[in-house]
Amino acid sequence: MTKILVVEDDKNQQELYRQELIEEGYEVDVAGDGREAITKVQEARPDLVVLDISMPGMDGIEAMGKILGGDNRIPIILNTAYSSYKDNFMTWSADAYVIKSSDLTQLKNTIKQILESGGQQQTE
Amino acid sequence: MDRAQADVLDNTLVVLLAGGQGERLYPLTRDRAKPAVPFAGSYRIIDFTLSNAANSGLRKINVLTQYKSYSLQRHLQLGWNIFNYELGEYLNVIPPQQRMATMWYRGTADALFQNIYILERLRPTYVLILSGDHLYKMDYARLLHYHVQNAAHLTVACIEVNREEASRFGIMQVDDENRIVDFDEKPAQPKPIPGRPGAFLGSMGVYVFNTEELVRQVIADAKRDTAHDFGENILPGMIRDRDVFVYNFTDGAVGRPYWRDIGTLDAYWQASMDLLGPGPSFELADTQWPLRTYQEQHPPARIISTQGTGDGVAANSLVSAGAVINNARVTDSVISPGVTIEPGASVEGSVIMKDTVIGARAKVRNTIIDKNVHIPAGAEIGFDPDTDRRRFTVTDSGLVVIPKELPFEQPTEAVV
Repeated sequence: MTKILVVEDDKNQQELYRQELIEEGYEVDVAGDGREAITKVQEARPDLVVLDISMPGMDGIEAMGKILGGDNRIPIILNTAYSSYKDNFMTWSADAYVIKSSDLTQLKNTIKQILESGGQQQTE
Repeated sequence: MDRAQADVLDNTLVVLLAGGQGERLYPLTRDRAKPAVPFAGSYRIIDFTLSNAANSGLRKINVLTQYKSYSLQRHLQLGWNIFNYELGEYLNVIPPQQRMATMWYRGTADALFQNIYILERLRPTYVLILSGDHLYKMDYARLLHYHVQNAAHLTVACIEVNREEASRFGIMQVDDENRIVDFDEKPAQPKPIPGRPGAFLGSMGVYVFNTEELVRQVIADAKRDTAHDFGENILPGMIRDRDVFVYNFTDGAVGRPYWRDIGTLDAYWQASMDLLGPGPSFELADTQWPLRTYQEQHPPARIISTQGTGDGVAANSLVSAGAVINNARVTDSVISPGVTIEPGASVEGSVIMKDTVIGARAKVRNTIIDKNVHIPAGAEIGFDPDTDRRRFTVTDSGLVVIPKELPFEQPTEAVV
């Protein structure tokens, strides 16, 4: 089964993502900050990472650099409440940039597209 | 220069890649990075590229260091601390940050990838990528102007090389508009410039990128398992779907066009010889294009001739401050600061680096001697390749290289 790692510090959102993505047929793991995400990527080898940016501990941008340093092919979707990060070069390594919403349709579609294309999608 | 051209310079970040190991210059790179290798007496190799940048009006410079950076870092701190931060000028020396990876730079493109943070902080419109191991004088402002005029994504500076040299370069093919249509990295069968068999366009490793394009390209490259090299891995893809132009070095050269890669010991020696003679190929004394470095305090060079005991002669040579040529003969050589050449010695076709002593009656020919070496009295170096090979590096062409501070505990066989 396709494994997705959701990196998110807010407990309620963690639960929302977990439930909705399980319903989509994915196996879902959760990390509470960037540091935990790095460990879980190494241990559990997920097929895709959904990564919040603003988190206590290590933020999503720094974690993304470290995750890609260990595996340059793992697809990463940045999922944040702020559109302002989108112009930041540091976020351009992500395969996609999705603004947070209570409706997860866009996130689910993006996950599907990236998995189907084998992680070839580029942020523009 | 009009306002628009000044703005281009102001919005250009220079990234000087100074991280190479310089293995082919060993043993000169035993204790220092290639750009920090002393050259032309009081200079370091990096000084020529930095002088080009400063003379071109480029004052935002990041030098990316990596291996053996102590000597380079120290030289830049002492010699290039001339920029005024309050006027928006700077020269930053940046060691690997391991922000995007936990490894050292795997190639030129990876060096930029790992420094995307700096591009984000500074947000230049253009990035001029340079390397610190070439000897040339070039006005980068003209290159940048050309890049902007063409609305290019990338402009690659090129020199014309011959067939023999072509296999060591990235070779380009261009159309009538100077757009690059084909690129081969170090090709066995290089394609010449159309209509000019025997002439090839070789990349100088000097690139102007639009910053956003650069960021996209190095990220895409980081996600592939490549050598992470601009020429090999980024150019071929870009010429297919981006606007990539060639800029001919002769259009931007200052004075008589001269360019040399100081990447090997033989090339280092030849470049040194190019500084000598009347109307040298590379002129150090250029008031229009001043070449700066860090200079320690030294008294003027002294050449001593004691009547009746021999001669003190320096012919066709560069003699740096603080050198003493005491009743000795120097011809076709580069003598660095603080070098002493004792009575009866002769030095010919050689490069002698700082504070080295050539003992009395010693004979040195076609040799590079690094800093702080004491050649014993009566020694002969550069005359018998077999003897030299037992103690020193000797290149295929017969050039002898003696590393820094090499001790001579025993007198050499030639001592009388």
